[in-house]
Amino acid sequence: MAVVNRLNCKIGGAAGSGVAVLGALFAKCLQRAGLEVVATNDYPSLIKGGHNTHKIGASAEPMSAIVGRYDLLIALDKLTIELHAQELNEGGAIIYDSDKVKNAEELASRKDIMLVGSPLTQMAAKAGGEIMFNTVALGAAMGMMNVDFSIMEKLLTSIWARKGQKVIDANIAAARAGYDSVKAQNGSFRVQIQEIKGKKPQMFINGNEASVLGAVKAGCKFVAEYPMSPSSSILHLMAGHDFDYGIIVKQTEDEIAAANMIAGAGAAGVRAMTATSGGGFALMAEALGLMGIAEIPAVIFESQRAGPSTGLPTYTEQADLLFALHASQGEFPRVVIAPGDPLECYKEAINAFNIAEMVQTPVIVLLDKFLSEASLTIEDVRVIPAKVDRGKLQSDEQMEAQPGFKRHTFTEDGISPRSIYGQKNGMYVCSSYEHDETGFSSEAPDMRVAMIDKRAKKLKSIPDYIIAPSFSGADEAEAQILLVCWGSTKMPMVESLKLLAADGIKARMMHIRYASPFAARAVLSALTKAKKTMIFEGNSEAQMRTLILQKTGYHIENAYLRYDARPFKPEEIAEAAKKMLKK
Amino acid sequence: MTTVAELNSGHMPQWCPGCGDFGILIALKGALAKLNISPEETVVVSGVGCGSKIPHFIKTCGFEGLHGRSLPPATGIHLANNKLTVVAIGGDGDGCGIGLGHFMHTMRRNLDFTYIIQDNEIYGLTVGQASATTKKGVITKSTPHGTPEDPINPPLMALSAGATFVARGFAGDIPHLTDLIAQAISHRGIAFIDCFQPCVTWRKDLPYDLYQKKCYKLEKEGHDTSNWDAAVARARETERWPIGVFYKIDKPIYTDQIPFIKDTPIAKQDISNVNIDKFVEEFL
Repeated sequence: MAVVNRLNCKIGGAAGSGVAVLGALFAKCLQRAGLEVVATNDYPSLIKGGHNTHKIGASAEPMSAIVGRYDLLIALDKLTIELHAQELNEGGAIIYDSDKVKNAEELASRKDIMLVGSPLTQMAAKAGGEIMFNTVALGAAMGMMNVDFSIMEKLLTSIWARKGQKVIDANIAAARAGYDSVKAQNGSFRVQIQEIKGKKPQMFINGNEASVLGAVKAGCKFVAEYPMSPSSSILHLMAGHDFDYGIIVKQTEDEIAAANMIAGAGAAGVRAMTATSGGGFALMAEALGLMGIAEIPAVIFESQRAGPSTGLPTYTEQADLLFALHASQGEFPRVVIAPGDPLECYKEAINAFNIAEMVQTPVIVLLDKFLSEASLTIEDVRVIPAKVDRGKLQSDEQMEAQPGFKRHTFTEDGISPRSIYGQKNGMYVCSSYEHDETGFSSEAPDMRVAMIDKRAKKLKSIPDYIIAPSFSGADEAEAQILLVCWGSTKMPMVESLKLLAADGIKARMMHIRYASPFAARAVLSALTKAKKTMIFEGNSEAQMRTLILQKTGYHIENAYLRYDARPFKPEEIAEAAKKMLKK
Repeated sequence: MTTVAELNSGHMPQWCPGCGDFGILIALKGALAKLNISPEETVVVSGVGCGSKIPHFIKTCGFEGLHGRSLPPATGIHLANNKLTVVAIGGDGDGCGIGLGHFMHTMRRNLDFTYIIQDNEIYGLTVGQASATTKKGVITKSTPHGTPEDPINPPLMALSAGATFVARGFAGDIPHLTDLIAQAISHRGIAFIDCFQPCVTWRKDLPYDLYQKKCYKLEKEGHDTSNWDAAVARARETERWPIGVFYKIDKPIYTDQIPFIKDTPIAKQDISNVNIDKFVEEFL
């Protein structure tokens, strides 16, 4: 009996051999067939060579992480067969290039799987160029699962549209050759895909892409960034759309320049952002404090990678939480948001720009390598209401009526009306020094206290509903256990809830997005009402547990920490929860 | 009309009596008045140092940033609103020590603003250490055996980085400096002025009269400002100290490459409802 519309696939090969392109096409085909898709990758910090893998899960039901063993392995080299053949389900299949690999049986060393060798490179050459061997492999894979060829045809046409009809035709021919080459096995593979029709088109997007889309929707007009994995694709995507959306994208000499440039641009009245990883963020620390004291709105996306120092540049970690909360000397308000999946990246990017201007302070959006590069199918984001709220930014007309305007004037909520350079009556010095209401330097003790208090209370105006944690899974009253996580751990945890439910365990998830300001009352209430609590974090020091203790006085006794620089698997979260419940 | 009196901020400068910064402040105000530039549409951007307090002593918009970091915010302000007049200013420690990377990169971009280094060859605010422009052998608090290394030559750096306007002024010759700053602001492209600024407290060995004795005016010696090699040769002189314009050429500026700010700077563009339909379609 074939499994319908439920597939796990792994693609492996050397870096630079087309694993990523094939992975993206493969995932997109299944998305176009109406399935929910999740794709993640794993690669070393190399341009050529090394072992890269791309994992794709697809299902008729919503999914946010891959669960279980693999059904299909596409091996672009021998090593992939050797390393991953054992991860296949019984009846699974390996697609490989029979010209390059002659001893597939020996390498796989198991008899309960299908070995599908096709002369991929030869067929590609015949279709127009060896470079298309991954398109041939794509065709073979889709043929095995009986995916309607027209889906692939349409996809290749749209993807290669800008390269012209010749390239489109060659790619379709290559896909067709692969598709037809597996006719003999057609129908006998354990997974079959049947197109789900009549569904609204969904987006297939990763965390970095969704963050960019949110930033563009929020009216970001200036991006200053220095390349650093895993944030660089934000720079690339912004740079690729600068003229379309009127965004100035500046690659800077270093992260210090990037952060100080957006400080200047923010003071001049544009929505400005930078993106980096932990190392670059370390260099931005001083400018972060500048934005804090000078009350400049700006947004910093920090995609965490395994540190410290250069660390493991292309691997994931959630170990910059307390750093993001404490970076820079002195005390000033900052907002730290950790979205949990691509959809939240989009929404929180918009929130980040609104909050930055409403509160006139820097906002840090904490991503991580896993989230930055994990692609998920999500609803078309255009259905999500998106409002641009510029806070107390004064219009030119408003400024004209305010002679004697003081940029840092004391107000009840601590937030002052904001002028920008070039406005009548709006002249002031935006200063890194402590200052009075006009912006003039002041070292007077009373003024110092008043300014610290003014800035500190600004965060209180961020509404509770924005910073509240989100919950899913079993109801509060009947849940046997409350599983706590933050940031990208949401994706595997959502899947672990399903595994636990299938085992008859009622588990509830609390996902914390806002580390600052912190929804202490809501978090404490959920923790104290839970029968048991357990936290899952991608770091070795349980940093969110520390923050929760600091903010609520509640100590979560059980922590499951993963710090091998890899993301959590749903199965291990479920197992850990079960083990804890047995204690 | 913008007048010098209008540019008085009302705050008394907190510099040592006789400091070269007074001359630079007067010249900057004079240049803005001469060009009749609106103070509300001018941003004086500085870092941290004695001279970097200057935004408080001139009634324009100001940005007093971090030590060594006047140029990145100046760049951000200029790109956000290229209709503003931006003047970045800071000391030799700020621009040639901690901020040297920004100095070189900003010079090569040909952005349309002015950068002035208040060059007194010493760290003043931190009470007298050698800077990157202190000449070899000078005894300071941090170099009791004499500065062990050769100094940086700011005009030469700017020339080598591709700046399109490179000049040197002297805080003790205010009319000349005023004219130089006015030329720099009027220049379409990045304009750099290295400004000799006597430090009466920490560099008593570099008094006004020594500068007066050593300085000569390039314009009086028939220097060709369009000749880069000649400019380099003049910038390398050590016996006599040239002031005036070393080099000036016209080249397309950075923002000429950004079509969508031709009429309206990004700071003034409407962002209330950005249409992302086309972008979304890439992910469908």
